[in-house]
Amino acid sequence: MGATVLLSCLFPVPPSVLAGPDPNMKLLQDIVPSADNNIDTKFLVLDKDKTTLEGQHKVCLALVGDDTAAVHVQFWGDECDAFNPSDIIRLRNGIFSYHHGNLVLRGGKRGKLEKIGEFTMTYVETPNMSEIHWIPDPNNPKNYIQDSVISPVSRIFPPLE
Amino acid sequence: MVSRLTHAALCEPENPIEVSLRQSFESLQSTLTPPFSLTIPKPGDEYSHTNLAILHAILTEPHFAVTHIKHLHAVVTDGYATFIDALFKIVHFLYPKLLASVKSQVLWVAEETVRVLGIGFDAVLVTLLRQIIGGDFSDGNCWLCLKLVTLFSNQRQCLLDEAPHVLSFALYTFLRVLSDHCRVGGDENLEALRRMEINLCVMIVRLDFRLCLNIGRDFIRLLQDLLHVPEFKGIWMDIVVNPSAFNALGFVGVSQIYRTRTSSRYHLLRISPEMETQLRFLLTHVKLGHQKKHQIWFARKFLNEPERDCVIVDIVRFVCCGHHPPNEIIQSDVVPRWAFIGWLLKLCRKSYLVESVKLALFYDWLFFDERVDKIMNIEPAVLLMVHSIPNYADMTNSLLEFLLKLLDDYDLKHKDLIVEGVSSAFKLLVSKGVIPSLDVLTSSPVISPVLKGALGRLLSGVKVESSNACILARISASPKSSHICP
Repeated sequence: MGATVLLSCLFPVPPSVLAGPDPNMKLLQDIVPSADNNIDTKFLVLDKDKTTLEGQHKVCLALVGDDTAAVHVQFWGDECDAFNPSDIIRLRNGIFSYHHGNLVLRGGKRGKLEKIGEFTMTYVETPNMSEIHWIPDPNNPKNYIQDSVISPVSRIFPPLE
Repeated sequence: MVSRLTHAALCEPENPIEVSLRQSFESLQSTLTPPFSLTIPKPGDEYSHTNLAILHAILTEPHFAVTHIKHLHAVVTDGYATFIDALFKIVHFLYPKLLASVKSQVLWVAEETVRVLGIGFDAVLVTLLRQIIGGDFSDGNCWLCLKLVTLFSNQRQCLLDEAPHVLSFALYTFLRVLSDHCRVGGDENLEALRRMEINLCVMIVRLDFRLCLNIGRDFIRLLQDLLHVPEFKGIWMDIVVNPSAFNALGFVGVSQIYRTRTSSRYHLLRISPEMETQLRFLLTHVKLGHQKKHQIWFARKFLNEPERDCVIVDIVRFVCCGHHPPNEIIQSDVVPRWAFIGWLLKLCRKSYLVESVKLALFYDWLFFDERVDKIMNIEPAVLLMVHSIPNYADMTNSLLEFLLKLLDDYDLKHKDLIVEGVSSAFKLLVSKGVIPSLDVLTSSPVISPVLKGALGRLLSGVKVESSNACILARISASPKSSHICP
């Protein structure tokens, strides 16, 4: 026995890295407005607005992004305090839909947001999926398709100069 | 309900390391109280579950810790490697989140692993040293300093025999921490801690000077921050005028230490694992022009409290000496090291801090010797000077002024060595194509004529043959410069 430094100790791999990519995870550029709670994705929180009350519940709007796109997320209840800029969040069974006139991604009643990391993710701010005008698909009116870009970046959270 | 190791956070799943310990503990809980089974766990899963369960029990049941560790001693068949590896992961990945009672147990069991010289105990001590946060005077951080300085004082002789490198690491850490603890007043607790840290460092330096020689030139850099403390002033005087006082075979004088490059393992000691992850990510994945948010988050997390900014000195040493990106990164549009250091320098508001950060940036220049030094350690400073010329000439001027002033001020008795070091640093930077020629500095209209004159005189002895093609592909105005020829 002695003072041999274990190699695994000198060059440890964070446990989160050991988990492989999840095939069901969507990139933000691929999310489409829908009435279903079926979006699994992962993103970085870029900015957060003030928390307000909607009825008795706290709500808070945030800008999030991944390598492909950005989008507005609405936090609800405890999520408003739990999540902050630079947090990496995993969303399961999320919904991307119009809520009081704003197109937002959120957990909704059946979805769940969890903090799974911090800082170690890159992002883009364009396109912003909430700043796109969507119209029903003429071939399949249940689905939405992109009509036009309202703004290339978030109008609520303008990029840093 | 099984006790937790970490503070539960809203909307955050339990960490996988904690989950695996908890599950092992839950499944074996009934076997963890006497009378213990006489059978030795089978190698493989059963053995590792037993180790994890006992570790969980030690960390969450302080009152029975002595019983649990006896149990461990009875079942261990691998030199404690499994047990210590799990302990290492808890400290390395979870320390800031651990409950106070669990931290207390971690320190207790870490000392136990030293007593039995378990395989990997040194790695646990090193990662514990890295949890001491520079410039943090909170109770928790001072408690950790106190626990570790006590542990190292108690185990000094054992460590000297079994793992002297760990004592060198402890010396580096506590010398650095002392410069914080000696700068601010503080209460009697801080005074007592300061006294213990001074005693430990003085004991190591006076009795085992070869451990200082192992550290190399950064030992002197840290020591010089402590010259206002009488004990360290005395050590410095002996190093300069009476080197034989240390009874260190072969030690002839300070220039010997100046000439020894400090291994990056020392610089890493003052960077917490979490900070290291973020720094390496920023300098590997984040693109120049898109780094602002990441930099703001980094500063908010690590530099936001008063006094915490002193860690910028350590970050600069780490970035220069401990993070050397491969060519693909250097040639890409990822944030270059010089740009990141420029941003750090702009964050410094206190003049003594600015001086320390600049010294950290140029320290390897002063004693540069191609045979032992690395060009990547001196590359950020020259690129920061050159790239700042177009828009931030004040940065270039202040850096150049500082470097030239060091020639006269740093150590007059070794001026020749330093002039030689700085000249050969410039020479190698040009010959390897890091900068196309020294003309970018000596002919720039935005650099003060006085500095250009002094630089010209320094370089008059330096004749440089710059090597062709790789230079053409690089620098001038491009921030993506690389100095390594394909």
